[in-house]
Amino acid sequence: MIEKKNDNSIPDRPLECSECKKAIAVRYVEIVGSVTTQTSMCADCPELQRRLYGANPKELVSNSLSDAELVCGNCGTTLENVRRGHSLGCAECYTVFSDALIQELYSLNRLPSKIITEKKSGPIHIGRTPGERLAVNLSSKLLALNESLKETLKREDYEQAALLRDQINALTHEEKSHKPELKEQTDEKN
Amino acid sequence: MRKIDSNHPLLCDANPWRNNSNSIWLASTLSLNRNLEKFNFPNKLPEEKRKHILDMITPKLQASDQLKNPQVLLAHETLPIEKEFLVEHFLSSQGFHHSSKGDAFVIDETGEFLATINLRDHLTLQRIDIQEELEDTWEKLVKVEMQLKDVSYAFNPKFGFLSSDPTMSGTGLIVHIFLHLPALIYTDNLIEAVGKYKDESIELTGLQGDPNELVGDIVVFHNVYTLGLTEETILTSLRTLAAKMIIEEKTIRSRLQQNQGNDVIEIKDKVSRAFGVLMHSYQIEAIEALQAISLLKLGLDLKWIEGTTPENLNKLLFNIRRAHLLCHYSQDKISQDELLHKRAEYIHQSLKGTELLV
Repeated sequence: MIEKKNDNSIPDRPLECSECKKAIAVRYVEIVGSVTTQTSMCADCPELQRRLYGANPKELVSNSLSDAELVCGNCGTTLENVRRGHSLGCAECYTVFSDALIQELYSLNRLPSKIITEKKSGPIHIGRTPGERLAVNLSSKLLALNESLKETLKREDYEQAALLRDQINALTHEEKSHKPELKEQTDEKN
Repeated sequence: MRKIDSNHPLLCDANPWRNNSNSIWLASTLSLNRNLEKFNFPNKLPEEKRKHILDMITPKLQASDQLKNPQVLLAHETLPIEKEFLVEHFLSSQGFHHSSKGDAFVIDETGEFLATINLRDHLTLQRIDIQEELEDTWEKLVKVEMQLKDVSYAFNPKFGFLSSDPTMSGTGLIVHIFLHLPALIYTDNLIEAVGKYKDESIELTGLQGDPNELVGDIVVFHNVYTLGLTEETILTSLRTLAAKMIIEEKTIRSRLQQNQGNDVIEIKDKVSRAFGVLMHSYQIEAIEALQAISLLKLGLDLKWIEGTTPENLNKLLFNIRRAHLLCHYSQDKISQDELLHKRAEYIHQSLKGTELLV
């Protein structure tokens, strides 16, 4: 009654949401006459929306219209493809589906929560840009060790703490003696 | 470009796994996903254009002074078992079986570097690190990335480096840290320890990608976000969490070693049984073997076992998986049933002289 003709005696193969990489949340069983169709869908599957609200012809029409409007002109990827978690086809897709992608990333928990509240319209990427030289310093290593040291001291595990302290000393010493960029050359000399 | 034979020395028994003496932090892998400007992503790119990209990238990779004697393996000339080997060797979370004409792998003599071309993205650069050197490894990858001169990467100020998988855009950097945490697991402290240091930007999973099945008691920590964080933040938060987990694990190990706690007897029993299984089975499945080797590793660290080395057990951990094992016995055709027996046999040989002290 919704969109599939059930005059076929072979039941439809279940639509697996493994296609959109999301966990299956709903098993939708539809019984029309003697034919039963089963569909497995994830919680925010467009297919689920259609099955639940698809009976309302207005909504179905407006949905399919807006879906039909958004297609990447360069590679033919559609908004529906994006919503179903299919791979994107080209760089252009990121411009065409910009807002939908942010929504998708959010629903998949693939955006840090502070980003979502702070800046939805501006650039999200804050990492390196192409061709940018980097000087990763040792601070990250130090930071990690220092934090662990605090943890061990709090627990009064002095044996572990001594080990960590030695590692921290070795690193700070290294940092003072030569800059990381020059590390390779100095290593040779040593 | 030449084809490798299935018994290629570059692949079989290769570093860095041959000499890995790490007890808890077994290894880390870093990968960078990149695409080229002006080309559709590989899934929407016809074969001849994929070949064009291949011809463009591979000579540049081969000329990179960051790589030692790099070698190109064309996907359609690479046997399924070789692809499986690459997956095992590089601890890849992505299968390589679907790769076909126009795709390629580039490896080098160190056994630490892998580039995949035209698989999910035009280029994925990956490195294994066994020295807890996340920052250095990241720097090395970026050097290779920057050495591909005249290549413009697909980049967008809002989404950063673009990937065919939007969840990998931004930095395009995925870091996996492989920690061996048997003491936390067998004393039922893992969940508590993980909960204590909860970081929303890090997820944990198992070797086979299932967080509910921690094969070989190896817990894999990886960053959840590639977009919206700097590379440095990604590396720092993972390193911080790893450092804390290691301390938790070490604390329990030292308690066990001092024979404190009600669970010592139970764990001694587990280690002893694992020893028995490894030494006396006629055939053995990979997962069962990995589980037992894990306990043996713990036993060795607690001095309940002698006559073997951490290097030997780590090597065993790697070599009993299917593709590695077949590599070892490459001359003979081995059926699935025989494989189980060969695995047991291989383990017996590797553990010769090992003794249980408890």
